[in-house]
Amino acid sequence: MRARIASESIVDMSTNEHTLKFFGEELNQLKAEVARMGGLAEAQVADAISAVSDRDVSLAESVVGRDRRLDLLQHDIERKSIRLIALRQPVAQDLRRTVGAMKMASILERTGDYAKNIAKRALVISEAEPITPLTRAIERMGKLVAARLKDALDSYTSAELDQAMNVWQNDEEVDEHYNSLFRELLTYMISDPRMINSCAHMLFVAKNLERIGDYATNIAEIVHYEVTGEEIMGDRPKWSGVAREDADDSDLEA
Amino acid sequence: MPLSRSEPEPTPSTLPLNVQTPAAGPRGTAAAVVGAVAAAAIMLIVALGKADAVTGLLTAAVLVALGLVLSFRTTTRAAAKSDMPIDAAAPPPPDPGDVQTYVSALELAPNPILVVSAEEPDDLAGRRIAFANASARDLLRVAREGALLVAAVRNPNVLEAIDESLFGGIDRVVAYEAGGPQNRFWRVRTNPLPGTPTRPRLALVIMQDETEIRLNERMRADFLANASHELRTPLASLTGFIETLRGHAKDDEVARDRFLGIMGRQAERMARLIEDLMSLSRIELSEHIRPSGVCDLTVAVADVADALAPQLAAKGVTFDFGLPAKGVAWVAGDRDQLIQVVQNLLDNAIKYSPVGGVVKVEVDVGLTLDAAAAFRPDPRRLSAPDGGRMSLQTPTWSADVRYAILRVADLGPGLARETLPRLTERFYRVEGQKSGERSGTGLGLAIVKHIVNRHRGGFLVESAPGHGAVFCVYFPMTPSQIGSQPAAKNDRNIPFTESSAREEIKLS
Repeated sequence: MRARIASESIVDMSTNEHTLKFFGEELNQLKAEVARMGGLAEAQVADAISAVSDRDVSLAESVVGRDRRLDLLQHDIERKSIRLIALRQPVAQDLRRTVGAMKMASILERTGDYAKNIAKRALVISEAEPITPLTRAIERMGKLVAARLKDALDSYTSAELDQAMNVWQNDEEVDEHYNSLFRELLTYMISDPRMINSCAHMLFVAKNLERIGDYATNIAEIVHYEVTGEEIMGDRPKWSGVAREDADDSDLEA
Repeated sequence: MPLSRSEPEPTPSTLPLNVQTPAAGPRGTAAAVVGAVAAAAIMLIVALGKADAVTGLLTAAVLVALGLVLSFRTTTRAAAKSDMPIDAAAPPPPDPGDVQTYVSALELAPNPILVVSAEEPDDLAGRRIAFANASARDLLRVAREGALLVAAVRNPNVLEAIDESLFGGIDRVVAYEAGGPQNRFWRVRTNPLPGTPTRPRLALVIMQDETEIRLNERMRADFLANASHELRTPLASLTGFIETLRGHAKDDEVARDRFLGIMGRQAERMARLIEDLMSLSRIELSEHIRPSGVCDLTVAVADVADALAPQLAAKGVTFDFGLPAKGVAWVAGDRDQLIQVVQNLLDNAIKYSPVGGVVKVEVDVGLTLDAAAAFRPDPRRLSAPDGGRMSLQTPTWSADVRYAILRVADLGPGLARETLPRLTERFYRVEGQKSGERSGTGLGLAIVKHIVNRHRGGFLVESAPGHGAVFCVYFPMTPSQIGSQPAAKNDRNIPFTESSAREEIKLS
């Protein structure tokens, strides 16, 4: 299942023997546009995180302003995909790629929405007193999420199945960061009610980051479906699931 | 996509953009030579019929790029030095043998260099990588020439700059942050290149690494903030004791001895703190540079275990080893830094172990990334309330890499799940934990994390309150050692022979 299917990577599509050469070019175009949109979404997320951690008001404002470009790109990709399906009636992997592009566009658009939301909250947070340990924790979580989004998009552009699976399986790290941050924020809010306003905003920033991390796994699922034609079955593996396999291999005498 | 015409980079007016008609000054003859080489080489290749049209074009593109690189350097230098008039001296005919040399030179350049070709402005899939040198292929994971540009570079600012060079004929300089675990900062220059008949639009992209400069800036700020904050406490206590000794404890001999003892310990702590901070700064500065040496993990563990014998004896703790023979666990890495990782992990394990406890130390080899990340979980810790396992550092996925893992398990008080993600924070202390108090600097695991990241390795922890803690670090193995049994190259101060390794290094 995890075989690397290199022949289907984006770079090779131009040399594939499509029944219609022109159709192959159209598909390539679509994928290129999704990749560009991905780059834009990535930059939005990265800038939104910097806006929070550096208390950078103008950066936050520009993130909010740029969100519209993602909306336009999404509409464009959707329109082109529908046109492609209607006129060319693709089958098998071509159909999966086309539908995949549409799904990707909507995921990336929502990723951008979360980035915009983070940037808006950055505007409020930067007005309040700085809480350095918390912003550092947010920054750390943000870096992690951004790296996962990057890996997911890399796996999309290269159609690298193993990399996609790797993104898909390591979802828990982000969740753990979120849970830890959640407890920390509660502690701050209990100890000093004056911080409740900015802490509440930070809580939503963390939640938004967690959702962006989830979208990265969704991208990995799309890549898997595009390449293999099968959906990933079952829940994401949790550590407890791994542990059950070698339950006898306990090493510590309690 | 509409092109936004923002600030073009000021270009020296003498820059000969068209290498077909080189206009070189006395100091810029190199540019002219290369320009001529480019023109002649294309003709030569076509005439000799030794290469097909594609290779011919590719070579042409490379040479044009090389010409531009050199001419840019030479002319800027010339322009900086003087305003020499430009004379159109005819370049000497190039030696066809040199062509390959120039290609190799470009290939070996440390900066990532790309040549991008394009069709129409609205044809996004038409922008392709016509040439990428070794450094660019490595950085941007370009599979081969002719790959889609967006598959390699997605950053909107860089794409926009390339577009402006392709379609607007403008030179641009933009900043680019690559992302990922070893975050690198680049300055990207884009320049238009003269087109060829089949490739009318070409642009040159040169990337310059600015990671070190950026890291240096941040490091200085971080160091000052950390040092001033963390040194304040021991310093305040020192000042307090000095005042007391000057004042009413002046003639109290018993109190004086006690105070001096405390002061000595505080001073030691400050020295340790500074040392750890410096070491952390050094590691962070080189974090984006892959280490070059090799090191045997088994030997490293044995060396550190030897050095820790006094601490083991003092606390009555024993090590329980599960190590492969030496010469098996070769990892690509800086020996001193790997020793530091092992040292910090074993040190912690001893520190948090109960008196007379056992610390289990294991090394395993040849694991895939997935296998390393899921290495020997213990259901007792995972099913315990508040227990958990999580990755503190995960390397970027890459095919064909195998990892060697070091697993250190102690029977100490253990850690609650919610503290796990914060363990590698600087100066993070788990609340209510007594055993580590005052004895550490709070930087040990941060140092481990940064060294692991530099080695493109991984770091994970598994723990539950009351069930001890397990720390695992894994490092990429050297490619030639995977699956083979290499001869031991490094047999310095190993206190045991291969056959009896497991028994003899059991220190107690």
